Amino acid sequence: MGLRAAVALGRLADTLEALNVARARTEGWSWEQIAEALGVSRQAVHKKYAGRLPMTNPKET
Amino acid sequence: MFERFTKTARETVVRAQAEARTLRDPRIGTEHLLLALLDDRASTAYRVLSGLGLRAEDVRDAVRRGEAGLVRQRDAEALRSIGIDVDAVLARLTETFGEDAVRAVLREQGTPRRSPSRHIPFSQAARDAMGSAVREAIRLGDKHIDDGHILAGVLSSGGAARGLVQAQGVSAEQVRTALERAWRKSA
Repeated sequence: MGLRAAVALGRLADTLEALNVARARTEGWSWEQIAEALGVSRQAVHKKYAGRLPMTNPKET
Repeated sequence: MFERFTKTARETVVRAQAEARTLRDPRIGTEHLLLALLDDRASTAYRVLSGLGLRAEDVRDAVRRGEAGLVRQRDAEALRSIGIDVDAVLARLTETFGEDAVRAVLREQGTPRRSPSRHIPFSQAARDAMGSAVREAIRLGDKHIDDGHILAGVLSSGGAARGLVQAQGVSAEQVRTALERAWRKSA
């Protein structure tokens, strides 16, 4: 039961992260800036999010 | 298991997978089974549900809008057990990011990249529903499992279908009563 809660919390955290990354992008954040805020590499963030949802930075289009 | 299903019931399961695929859901849930049941107007399930005022279009709209389970029910229960009010969290997220963004993320999250032809697995609730359907048929002494049994199983399981039906002002008990009547008539 505790494991299920752990998995569910992880999914919720992913949701929170995805929403915030998408917003950061629309506000003009670069992948580098987002990666730094998340404490991961630029490659990791890009790989995870670049193909998903509208994650466009208006400055880069 | 599917050898004992009627043709209608088997087609329901196939249609449920098609629904899940169309809606880009990673699992076949009870909501997809419900949509599939409502698709066959000749079925017992359709006659029972429409007789109670349920409209397929309304259910489909609700599923598309994501009311089927913004956060999977089991997730919500698990989080509640450790003191997290998922509804409150979702309300705040919706406030901050807007309904469309939240729904888009939740819908897309956990959808593994897969080729369109890959088989979509059942959710736990949908598996429970099918198990209940089989037990229902056995209980009634029926030789085959038909769409009526699937409907009974779907509404007695923990999935999203029950809530979708209730949102249309129809209780699971009403459906149960109508099903029993339909079964007695054809017995």
